[in-house]
Amino acid sequence: MVLDDLGTSLRDSLGKLSGQSRVTEEDVEEIVKEIQRSLLQADVEVGLVMELSDSIKERALEEDAPGGTSARDHVLSIVYEEMVALVGESMELPLEEQTILLAGLQGSGKTTTSAKMAWWFAKKGLRPAVIQTDTFRPGAYEQAEEMTARAEVDFYGDPDAEDPVEIAREGLEATSDADVHIVDTAGRHALEDDLIDEIEQIEGVVEPDRSLLVLDAAIGQGAKDQASQFEESIGIDGVVITKLDGTAKGGGALTAVDETGSAIAFLGTGEEVRDIERFEPSGFISRLLGMGDLKQLTERVERAMEETQEEDEDWDPEDMMKGEFTLKDMRRQMQAMNNMGPLDQVMDMIPGMGGGLMDELPDDAMDVTQDRMRSFEVIMDSMTENELENPRSIGASQVERIARGSGKDEETVRELLEQHKMMSQTLKQFQGMGQGNMERMMKKMQEGGGGGGGMGGMGPF
Amino acid sequence: MFDSLKDKLGSFRSDVEETTEEKAEEAEADAEAEADAEGGGAESADAEPEASAESETSEDDSSSGGFAQKAKSFAKGEIVIEEQDLEDPLWELEMALLESDVEVSVADEILENIRKDLVGATRSFSDETADVVEQALHDSLLKVISVGQFDFDQRIAEADKPVTIIFTGVNGVGKTTTIAKLAKYLEDRGLSTVLANGDTYRAGANEQIQEHAENLDKRVITHEQGGDPAAVIYDAVEYADSNDIDVVLGDTAGRLHTDEGLMDQLEKIGRVVGPDMTLFVDEAVAGQDAVQRAKQFNDAAEIDGAVLTKADADSQGGAAISIAHVTGKPILFLGVGQGYDDLEQFDPEELVGRLLGDES
Repeated sequence: MVLDDLGTSLRDSLGKLSGQSRVTEEDVEEIVKEIQRSLLQADVEVGLVMELSDSIKERALEEDAPGGTSARDHVLSIVYEEMVALVGESMELPLEEQTILLAGLQGSGKTTTSAKMAWWFAKKGLRPAVIQTDTFRPGAYEQAEEMTARAEVDFYGDPDAEDPVEIAREGLEATSDADVHIVDTAGRHALEDDLIDEIEQIEGVVEPDRSLLVLDAAIGQGAKDQASQFEESIGIDGVVITKLDGTAKGGGALTAVDETGSAIAFLGTGEEVRDIERFEPSGFISRLLGMGDLKQLTERVERAMEETQEEDEDWDPEDMMKGEFTLKDMRRQMQAMNNMGPLDQVMDMIPGMGGGLMDELPDDAMDVTQDRMRSFEVIMDSMTENELENPRSIGASQVERIARGSGKDEETVRELLEQHKMMSQTLKQFQGMGQGNMERMMKKMQEGGGGGGGMGGMGPF
Repeated sequence: MFDSLKDKLGSFRSDVEETTEEKAEEAEADAEAEADAEGGGAESADAEPEASAESETSEDDSSSGGFAQKAKSFAKGEIVIEEQDLEDPLWELEMALLESDVEVSVADEILENIRKDLVGATRSFSDETADVVEQALHDSLLKVISVGQFDFDQRIAEADKPVTIIFTGVNGVGKTTTIAKLAKYLEDRGLSTVLANGDTYRAGANEQIQEHAENLDKRVITHEQGGDPAAVIYDAVEYADSNDIDVVLGDTAGRLHTDEGLMDQLEKIGRVVGPDMTLFVDEAVAGQDAVQRAKQFNDAAEIDGAVLTKADADSQGGAAISIAHVTGKPILFLGVGQGYDDLEQFDPEELVGRLLGDES
């Protein structure tokens, strides 16, 4: 995804700074060059790249590193702050009645996105409806009809009508029972004046609470002009990046966010209606900041898994990729982590856990974590076989009993269950990925960044 | 396409010209001073450059590399374009290429070519630097854009009928629309076509191609959704065979190059159908990733050329340069609108000419 390689190349440049207490202008030049190159390769707009790198350069040279901070960390934190300022938070999306208008270029994935978003809202307990106003593209009606059927949500469209504005008006009336109205539009680009007029009219009729710009992750420098035109005509509140399951970095979306002063709302990561994620800036930031050395981590994990397996013959980490993730699996994973070596070293390699974040933690944070893991083990020892296999079945009275039995407080027991739930959810995402080996899992962790990350979820963060 | 690149190429030319112009003036002034002092003469040609070289070293001591050459050129009343003359303009040009969506490594290569061509190039005081620069730009652009260009019409005309053309590409780039346009294009050239919907996956794909076929009065071969795409196209070839149709236009489902299963399927289509031509469709608005996709599609089912769609949406167009460069296969057509006639033949010479055309 966006800026995959930035971490690696930055780490290389920054590595040269370690041990230095001051940065020279040359050091900064080199780092800034790396950043520029990575951003440009990610399709971030050239002007924006220059702006960003100029302010990083200026700050790195002018600001003094706070006492006790190494030059490396200082530069890193500046890069981090500037990137975060650019990326921004995820677009706010209250779960309430609303109308959302989708706009974008031909083939950017609006119709698929509308069905996916409807699915997403339905999962959140709202009743969504998709209104298809694309009267131009052959097959658009059928595609929307089928996709919404797969998402099991309401759908309105009229294959015989010709006026999109009229369809939008009638669609809103026909689906007035729904909580969330998602209005899909025909693809158009900034230079098609008559189509831009048309979407302005649709916008006037629909009066959307939010207008989202749908952008293909592969879009290049043109993202700027497209975004500013759509911003001008209908006002853009958020950006959806589609086709992120490819190799495109999606930097065009950053450009669009910057250009429209909006935020990233959703990410599209596949062709099925479920393949949609809310944008999580934390995952993005941890990739940026942590610069985890994934290759090394992967090797360590694999080695540790082998060691754990030797101790426990009938357990295969691959099993986790199939059935339910139980507390037993979690215990084994914790043992595997112990086998990997001192926790703080391992953490340093996990994206989002290493780098600057580690330095911000009090020195004894890792010891606390070790203690926590030991507490968890003790608690698990006080559970019955059935509770270990079916942690979901553990109720309040059982929590009380386990706490008493293990000599830990109920709060810690609940934390353990919470931790398990989080890891189990993360693992679900990895399931059905085909060859579910650790390397892919780690890669996915880096790309998705969501859900706290499998191993990352072990920490107290 | 290429509007901004065109502006920047213009300014690259004038930048280099300006820098070298200044140098020429300095050199001329030096030359006059030398001439006055030494009195001139054919045999002093050896001594003179040395003297002038000395005076120049103080202003410009990083130019030691081309020292001898420079001295010689100077004696001939020429100046040499040096690396540092180009540094700033080349940086500007690199940014211009990137702003036009030319992929980073491809841009690097173009710059390297220009650098090689220009550094050490000599021009006489009277020559226009612009000419030298223009030639270098022209050559290096044409070198990357124009790869294995062939006459599409002629190849279709001469091939054994039916000619089978398969279209590949990622989702939403406009494969089906391109097929419809090409059906119209071939009809205008007196060739009959049958369409085959090898996209048995996407919702609405059958309806989309069917409607195009109705509008254009063409026959389309489809199977049920979920069927075997290779079989559909195979059927279409059979149909063309027995009905004397000239060209089979085979659509495929859009797929991301990261989807191994679907890329394998593409390979299978290639094997089963044995198409006469495979065209890779991508959009002009695509950025750096265009190179990745083109490379991987070319690996899975070797392409003969590319079609660039949505060229009307975009003022950049660097994807054209990147795709041609990385696959070594020519861009054949540009899609320039939503109408069936909005398909243009791509002519690299014309494009480079237009890019360098002096309109400013």
